[in-house]
Amino acid sequence: MQYQIQNDVNGNPCAIAIVGKIISIPMNEGNTDYQAYLKWLAEGNTPLPADE
Amino acid sequence: MADSTTTNLLLTKPEVGASTDTWGTKINADLDLVDAKFTADLLSASANGVTGFKNRIINGAMVIDQRNAGASVTPANGDYTLDRIKVATTQASKFTVQQNAGAVTPPSGFKNYLGVTSSSAYSVVSSDYFLIGQALEGFNTSDLGFGAAGASTITLSFWVRSSLTGTFGGAINNSAYSRSYPFSYTVSTANTWEQKSVTIAGDTTGTWIGATNGVGLYAWFNLGTGSTGSTTANAWAAGSYYAPTGAVSVVGTSGATFYITGVQLEKGSTATSFDYRPYGTELMLCQRYYFRNTGSLYAMHGVGTVFSTTQADVYTKFPVSMRIIPTVSLSSTQIQVGATLYAATSVSGAAGVTTDGAFSRVGTAGTMIIGYAAILTNANNTSGYLDATAEL
Repeated sequence: MQYQIQNDVNGNPCAIAIVGKIISIPMNEGNTDYQAYLKWLAEGNTPLPADE
Repeated sequence: MADSTTTNLLLTKPEVGASTDTWGTKINADLDLVDAKFTADLLSASANGVTGFKNRIINGAMVIDQRNAGASVTPANGDYTLDRIKVATTQASKFTVQQNAGAVTPPSGFKNYLGVTSSSAYSVVSSDYFLIGQALEGFNTSDLGFGAAGASTITLSFWVRSSLTGTFGGAINNSAYSRSYPFSYTVSTANTWEQKSVTIAGDTTGTWIGATNGVGLYAWFNLGTGSTGSTTANAWAAGSYYAPTGAVSVVGTSGATFYITGVQLEKGSTATSFDYRPYGTELMLCQRYYFRNTGSLYAMHGVGTVFSTTQADVYTKFPVSMRIIPTVSLSSTQIQVGATLYAATSVSGAAGVTTDGAFSRVGTAGTMIIGYAAILTNANNTSGYLDATAEL
């Protein structure tokens, strides 16, 4: 699984996508998908940068 | 003047100035009548399910299946199957889950059940666990007062049917899995519905989340757990335990079945009648955690405007306020601008998602006209959907 940052209109990270899926994960620590992303990060992985 | 009686309960009203030696007896008889009436009415109300939200389990009758609509799935660890029913597993592809698997007749009073079928004869190793159950929200369990003196006794009741017999089990855990109560029950006859209940004294120690939107407690049913996650039955223990030692392993027998319905977790030491709730109410309770919009050709998910040549901002109102800001995902959807259709290729919360609705920025490969009205719909199929997920 590969995550990718999503930016808002000001270029600030606002959500997380999963490459190959049409999905948007909010950066909310109560969200279990975001918790899974944080665990993935803690394992040493790096998300793709946001699309330009 | 003789004694008279009250209008409704026909209680004796001793004559004032008379009944010198009998008024006490008459009043005591009246009190006994009132007491008996109160108890009978309370039990009757409970039997008829009119005592409100007594069942802390949501979708305990296994009626709602938004994700799979009755189809069989092989769940991964953390996946949800029927609404609010979660799987925890250390090994992939050891069992399937399906609403009404095997098409047996449910117990009287029920129309649905959750069916687990073992996919192989897997021998669990010490660190394995295979569980189905529910994470209950703290807002719905805080009144139980776990983690302090005076914690309430709870009773878990359910109907179960298995192709296997013997001592089965499950567990109640706190959110940190530092407190566990492995419980056991016996399935006496194969392939026969049996109703079980387990009464559990409230845990007076440990850390239990109170009135928050986090996990108040877990209620798990065991399908196979190794020695690390197993311990003495029917007692609170510090640590992570999911099953009583020696419990039947469903995943250990290829084709073994484990069906369950009528799951109820309630305050008190008695299993009362199942808390049947209206379908619409149960669906809305589920939608606090998961909402799928789907169902027809070109089903509309939201409306908005074209933000850029490749993006449209579309608003979707959720049917109920969700537990937390949800994950939003799309499958087989498109943006319609006028008569032109653009397949959706991405979604982002960049435009703003709240617990009440998603203002999603939907990407396409097309060249849309900025400022035009945009509609997010299913593509030309009935299987497309918009999902919002706020599960525990």
